[in-house]
Amino acid sequence: MSGLESNQTTIRGSVMIAGGGVGGMQAAIDLADSGFKVHMVQKDSSIGGTMVMLDKTFPTGDCSMCMISPKMVEVGRHPDIKLHTLAEVVSIDGGPGNYRVRVKLQPRYVDAEKCTGCGICEEKCPKKVTSEYEQGLTVRKAIYSLYPQALPNTRAIDRDNCIYFQKGKCKACEKFCPSDAIIWDDSEQDIELNVGAVILSPGLERYDAGMRQELGYGRWPNVVSSIQFERILSASGPFMGEVMRPGDHKHPEKIAWIQCVGSRDSHNANPWCSSVCCMYTTKQAVIAKEHDASIQPTIFYMDIRAFGKDFDKYVNRAKEEYAVRYQRAMISTVREEPGTGNLILRYAEPDGKLVDETFDMVVLSIGFQPHKEAVAFAKTFGIELNEHRFPKTDPFVPVETTRPGIYATGIYQGPKDIPETVMQGSAVAGRAMALLSEARGSETTVIEPPAIKDVKDEEPRIGVFVCHCGINIASVVDIETVVNHAKTLPHVVYAGNNLFTCAQDSQEQMKAIIKEHGINRVVVAACSPKTHEAIFMDTIEECGVNKYLFEMANIRNQDSWVHSATPEVATAKAGELVQGAVARAASLSPLDEKKIPVIQRGLVIGGGVAGMNAALGLADQGFEVVLVEKEADLGGLATRLTATIEGADIKTYLNDLIEKVAGHPKIQVLTDALVTGFTGFKGNFTTEVIVGTGMYERKIEHGVVILATGANEYVPTEYLYGQNQNVMTQIELAERIEQSGAEDLNQVVMIQCIGSRNEGNPNCSRVCCQSAVKNALRIKKLRPEANVYILYRDMRTYGLMEDYYMEARGLGILFFPYDPDNPPAAESAENGVVVSFQDQMTGRQLKVRADVLALSAGMTPEDTEELANILKLARNAEGFFVEAHVKLRPVDMATEGIFICGTAHSPKLISESVSQALAAASRATTILSKTQLTLSAVTAEVEQDRCASCLICVRSCPYGVPRINEDGVSEIDAALCHGCGICACECPAKAIELNWYKDDQIICKIDALLEGAV
Amino acid sequence: MIVADKKPIEEIIEYLKGKQNILILGCNECVTVCEAGGKKEVGVLASALRMYFQNQGEDVKIDEVTLERQCDHEYLEEIRDRVDQYDAVVSLACGVGVQFMAEKYHSTHIYPGVNTCFLGATEERGLWTERCQACGQCILATTGGICPVSRCAKRLLNGPCGGSTTGKCEVKKGDEEIDCGWQLIVDRLQALDRLDEYETLCPVKDWSTDRAGGPRKVIREDLKQ
Amino acid sequence: MRLQYPTNIKVVRVPCTGKVDVLYILHSFEKGADGVYLVGCLEGGCHYNSGNLKARKRVEQARKILDTIGIGGERVRMYNLSSSDGPLFAKYATEMDEKIREMGPNPIKLAKKKKAA
Repeated sequence: MSGLESNQTTIRGSVMIAGGGVGGMQAAIDLADSGFKVHMVQKDSSIGGTMVMLDKTFPTGDCSMCMISPKMVEVGRHPDIKLHTLAEVVSIDGGPGNYRVRVKLQPRYVDAEKCTGCGICEEKCPKKVTSEYEQGLTVRKAIYSLYPQALPNTRAIDRDNCIYFQKGKCKACEKFCPSDAIIWDDSEQDIELNVGAVILSPGLERYDAGMRQELGYGRWPNVVSSIQFERILSASGPFMGEVMRPGDHKHPEKIAWIQCVGSRDSHNANPWCSSVCCMYTTKQAVIAKEHDASIQPTIFYMDIRAFGKDFDKYVNRAKEEYAVRYQRAMISTVREEPGTGNLILRYAEPDGKLVDETFDMVVLSIGFQPHKEAVAFAKTFGIELNEHRFPKTDPFVPVETTRPGIYATGIYQGPKDIPETVMQGSAVAGRAMALLSEARGSETTVIEPPAIKDVKDEEPRIGVFVCHCGINIASVVDIETVVNHAKTLPHVVYAGNNLFTCAQDSQEQMKAIIKEHGINRVVVAACSPKTHEAIFMDTIEECGVNKYLFEMANIRNQDSWVHSATPEVATAKAGELVQGAVARAASLSPLDEKKIPVIQRGLVIGGGVAGMNAALGLADQGFEVVLVEKEADLGGLATRLTATIEGADIKTYLNDLIEKVAGHPKIQVLTDALVTGFTGFKGNFTTEVIVGTGMYERKIEHGVVILATGANEYVPTEYLYGQNQNVMTQIELAERIEQSGAEDLNQVVMIQCIGSRNEGNPNCSRVCCQSAVKNALRIKKLRPEANVYILYRDMRTYGLMEDYYMEARGLGILFFPYDPDNPPAAESAENGVVVSFQDQMTGRQLKVRADVLALSAGMTPEDTEELANILKLARNAEGFFVEAHVKLRPVDMATEGIFICGTAHSPKLISESVSQALAAASRATTILSKTQLTLSAVTAEVEQDRCASCLICVRSCPYGVPRINEDGVSEIDAALCHGCGICACECPAKAIELNWYKDDQIICKIDALLEGAV
Repeated sequence: MIVADKKPIEEIIEYLKGKQNILILGCNECVTVCEAGGKKEVGVLASALRMYFQNQGEDVKIDEVTLERQCDHEYLEEIRDRVDQYDAVVSLACGVGVQFMAEKYHSTHIYPGVNTCFLGATEERGLWTERCQACGQCILATTGGICPVSRCAKRLLNGPCGGSTTGKCEVKKGDEEIDCGWQLIVDRLQALDRLDEYETLCPVKDWSTDRAGGPRKVIREDLKQ
Repeated sequence: MRLQYPTNIKVVRVPCTGKVDVLYILHSFEKGADGVYLVGCLEGGCHYNSGNLKARKRVEQARKILDTIGIGGERVRMYNLSSSDGPLFAKYATEMDEKIREMGPNPIKLAKKKKAA
């Protein structure tokens, strides 16, 4: 007993993550990159979650698998992430800092150590089973991997369907397995994990569309769920990306999407909004149309909830460029037309007229709900749930459950889209890091860098790996022709192809091939080096090949995607691109990466809720933070807010937060401070700041930057604002109610989308619908006899906020949709305003005299033009900072070492700002937690014998890096060099070369690409 | 340094008509620094010439070499074993290099690839200005560090002529006005509080060390071997 | 959005257009390219501050040389766009292709053919 007690006082440097979807993966990567050991416990035989099932993602149309695949590989190859699949937590005891978790592992019946993932067993298995991953649209085998790129790729035997297990005969898998990996007597195992913190990211399950019998799912074959439609669209799906009806494999033209199946419906389904369906539906409609131009998509909806960054722009494009029809209507029934397989949808038009319309195919946009076993799951972990069986969390600490040291993230915490899930994945990691900071590095592995073979004097031996990228490439380019062409090229000793070269199994295969053929230079002909180069470089390094002896040919983005209309030409071009890559590969020489020290101090720009949380996120881990605020006081926009929609008191929270920040020994707050200069690179930045009324200059050295410059409420020019004192914004209304109650409010009108979703700002400001509902509810509660009218375009009370919208409707708050082409009008009246608008149900013009007209003003970003110039950061047209990648890098900026959070990124709620702030702190810690960083070897180098000391490099470098040294020749510090190559280009003596882009390495590629032209 | 400017390609093409085997010879000294004749310019000219001749349907071989300097025997020796194969060498060195080449390899046709301009300084990248005319008798000590030989159009040694108005010389370069060298000298001496030196008459200068005295030599017995 | 663009365009990757030596441009024509264009960041938005402005100068330099030797300076162009602007990339590719088709093949190739004939 005493042993256990002493154990509990020890803080452990490890974290268990239950659930291996994209959010769990992000948390795992952040933690592992920041010095913590991660145990990922996944119920399925592979990690991946929902995202691996998706075809494309909105709003960029990026391929989902292409994005998540590299992340999975990163998880799979990280020395400090241990995967436990087919695993479930049985019990947990201990406390924050030291939990003991018992995990039950289901037998896999395949030895992961022996299995190479070749898949022969799967091919030979005679038993066909409905595929869960393909949503029942096709079959898998009884020995299987969840999906082709599964991680781990070790197959598992599905005992319930295995012929041998059920009938005692077969063993085909064992017979054909080349590695002797089948274990028939594999059994359940119990393991114990000792970890400091626990992260819950088990995700949600999808609503069973069959519950809505009137919609005909499961009855009419051409009614599919939205997740089935994802698979139908997917190039690797059951129909290879061809849009077909499951019933008869005919190409549908008219496709209807029915929204809110399983969401916003407390009778048949769930009362909440699932937050993502409006956008994925829009995406499916657009992509379907891209696949087949004859498709006419119609979306039946209640409200289009395109509330995220740039989402409305996407919906507008869907309407304008893809002719997607949005019809506001609830579908009462779906019937099959006898004989045709077509479907007749009955719905009421806005004026109440009933219509029957026939479609070729129907997609039900199903929502999310907690797993059936959510209550038991919560009980196992000892956490409380809310009334909807989501974990109970606080709006100000949205990732903390009711049990300290146990965190909830992703859609498990509440419905959300991929970027928010990724963001929250980082956020939970940040909280866990803060809890366990003293044990950082105590459980991580120290790996010796692999011994790199010296190939300097070897003849180039090039291996070429051509990727099908599913059918992204292979459907256009004839891979075999490309492989055969590659075999004829100089120095090529191996050429082969893979379905997905980036998948874990292919990577392992690649390593084996490299060793077998003594390959010393690698060419991968696949997708973009921007996303995949690093992965392949690491792979080749693992087998002793210097990672710079690598080149990619982008035969997808630069070929199959853009020349799909001319497959033969595309195949020829792929060959030429490979030829260029091979020529370059032959010319490459190994490069060494230098290490530089990290300044373990963070700079946070902006002292609002996001900035302060980010600062605390770092400071609580023991890192010094300098917080720069341009105003005289901390607080930002939140100083004007009173309460959240949940009723949480913002003022008290904010005061506590300011106190914590101001009193934190690791945080230095500079107010009245303006950033005037910025230099350096990830791990080593110097920022110049002018501080205080005295305008004294400060130079801050730091390793990371977190941007949290915030936003303001839009100042309306519409509806008599500023002219009539009874016209005010929602923030002003909340302040007014706070100060003087609602006694004098008999009639209140609110108009939504002021300064949002218009020409000047095409996007939704996300928070205004809930602001309106929040204030309306507050008025109604203080003065039940008051009449509140909300004039809206789409009510966007997404996620669990739908409760409040329903409550508002229940309390008699009146909601009238308006058409933006026929907006409400207002005129001043005695002691108030008269608002007139059209009621769409009756078509009649209504007039309401209001004591207060509240304008739901949108959000405008702080003026950051100068800051953006100084830091060289991109902003979108509306002035919000642009993150590195909208889906998977939502808090990273394109410049490494700079992170973004809060409303500087896009409009958001306080709870969302807090999440993103914690996420930014977590991402920043992946740098700050290291004492040194490895630099890219792509830097400029001077051949000093040839240097004429002309100073042209000194004069042309954008960063002032080159200098003429004591020997009178130019010298370039690799740690400072950004690798642009301008000096190398301008040098008149041709004495400077940019490593990896040396003149001959570029010229030989040009020559190869132009071979035979003259 | 010696400042040179690139010769128009058309002019160089004229020299080379009918040649089959051409060497473009760069110099890694002054002409590199003033971006007229270094390895990079050799490459640019060679590439342009190759294309020109190809376009004319002519087979012309064009090689590129850049020497450390073309005004030293040792460096020029580096091409001795190959220079004979060329029927033309375009030297991108200053006039010194071109001549030294021509003297050393007197059977080879040597052509200049740059126009050698003056001894000057780099004001900024892409702008060079003249500072010295190598007169062989430096008088900068008495003129406040400003040379009347190179800065005065008339090379006057005892103050400005009547053509100096509001600090500008009566001689103009196109539309561009030129500072009066002597005005500059007077201003500088005044600033240095050495205006009395302006009163000292400069005796008649021995121009024999200037180019007027024919090709010059510097002989240093202490260094000779 | 998989926009299509002409198949005859082949991309050589450089870290910044400021790395594009005028020699690369000239060399490409020597090897038979019919046109060369640089695609850089928007002016004022260079990831490396000024690389794209230097590249524009190199393009001008190459144009002058190509005009002088009768290849045609118009065959070299500089385009600026933001990395997210796929449609513009495709538009420029098409525009370049059309421009070059209008000008015809690299005259060196024609001269060679003529000679061989």
